[in-house]
Amino acid sequence: MNGHPTRPEDFDLYALGVLEGEEKAAFEAHVPTCAACAEKLAEARGRIALLAFAAPLVAPSPAVKERLMRQIHAAPASSGARVPQRAPRDVERTESFFGRWWPVAVLAPVAAVLILVSVRLWQQNTRLIDELGEERATLQQQQGQLDEARHIVALMEAKDTISVALAAQPGMPKGDVRVMYNAKMGMAMCDGWVDPAPANKSYQLWLVPKDGKPISAGLIEPSTGPMKPWTVKLPPGVEAKAFAITLEPEGGMPQPTGPMVLVGPVS
Amino acid sequence: MSTSDAALIQKIVQRDESALAALYDRYASLLSSVLNRILRDTQAAEEILQDVFFQLWRNAAQFDPGRGSLPGWLVVIARNRAISRLRRHNPSEGEELLETSVIVPSNLESAVVQQQLLGRVKGALENLSADQRAAIELAYFEGLTHSEIATRTGDPLGTVKTRIRTAVESLKRTLSP
Repeated sequence: MNGHPTRPEDFDLYALGVLEGEEKAAFEAHVPTCAACAEKLAEARGRIALLAFAAPLVAPSPAVKERLMRQIHAAPASSGARVPQRAPRDVERTESFFGRWWPVAVLAPVAAVLILVSVRLWQQNTRLIDELGEERATLQQQQGQLDEARHIVALMEAKDTISVALAAQPGMPKGDVRVMYNAKMGMAMCDGWVDPAPANKSYQLWLVPKDGKPISAGLIEPSTGPMKPWTVKLPPGVEAKAFAITLEPEGGMPQPTGPMVLVGPVS
Repeated sequence: MSTSDAALIQKIVQRDESALAALYDRYASLLSSVLNRILRDTQAAEEILQDVFFQLWRNAAQFDPGRGSLPGWLVVIARNRAISRLRRHNPSEGEELLETSVIVPSNLESAVVQQQLLGRVKGALENLSADQRAAIELAYFEGLTHSEIATRTGDPLGTVKTRIRTAVESLKRTLSP
């Protein structure tokens, strides 16, 4: 394909990643050379990117943001900043150098050895920097896990943490979920089990505040056995009236629309 | 009124950590959702999520808001990395930055628009037939090509191509402004 893609959908198909072989190669050969097609591909990428909204809502653990902020804080201050253009060096006069050529003959072998040694040292230094970076990343990851564990311990030990047992509602799928919630920390830890959700449906956990609308605490993906305990980040300072699990369209909803499966009032 | 993505990018270039935190708060849940859907591994998803935002921190000066949408770019990069991880292939960071221009037909900076899009995208997928929806999800969330989808579903390659093409046309009509 030396010309434009013949079918307008090719841009979306490429952005989706389904093209392969000659079709893909021809597309990739043409688009970088054609501003109009590059623009169409950017638009197609944008449309296809919207499919991300079809993914079930999963809020990241608060520990990720904490790790990220520590990571950027530890990063070299100059990284990412615009690099100022260096002023050209003054051109050095070379006349006298060529006029006195004999030191070159003496110094050249020494310089060659120095260059070789420098290159070797530079290679070793680069390798050490890489290894140091990997160690630092591992350390940061472990620090993040440790911080998360500390948050969980703090949640469990805090005197103002409440424990709420969610009971199954009549005629609904069975389950038994317990939520430990600390309003000041804006954090909840949940565990328990619930029967598998019907096809195309998701369970969604809600914090029901004393004032205002329910706040989503994420989706629950039941497994065949008891689920692993999980933590949820919530807006801090919200006093809870109850926690509830509802049955929602797959992927969840901004506000509850389906029936309540499990409910636990705060006593 | 919240600060625009372009203004926050400019602040990141000036090494303002709070600007990165603001962009993280704005888009981390969207990226986390798509990463978890692709990888089905919370730890791996969180590693990529952190890495994408760290890349933004390091290379913010190279991002030109005039060339496209930041959330679109973040989603594309996160998805590429997740699929590469599934396939054990490492994409080049420079290639991602320079060649991935993304124009999103909506202003995703607004949480309200994000909520509206959630409904629109779900509606657009529900309008597809079950076979079409399954094929689109295999492509988007598992990174499969035409022939890989045909192998996975056991359908003829031509059928799969037609199915995806029709689905993409339908999505394009529904999701375009």
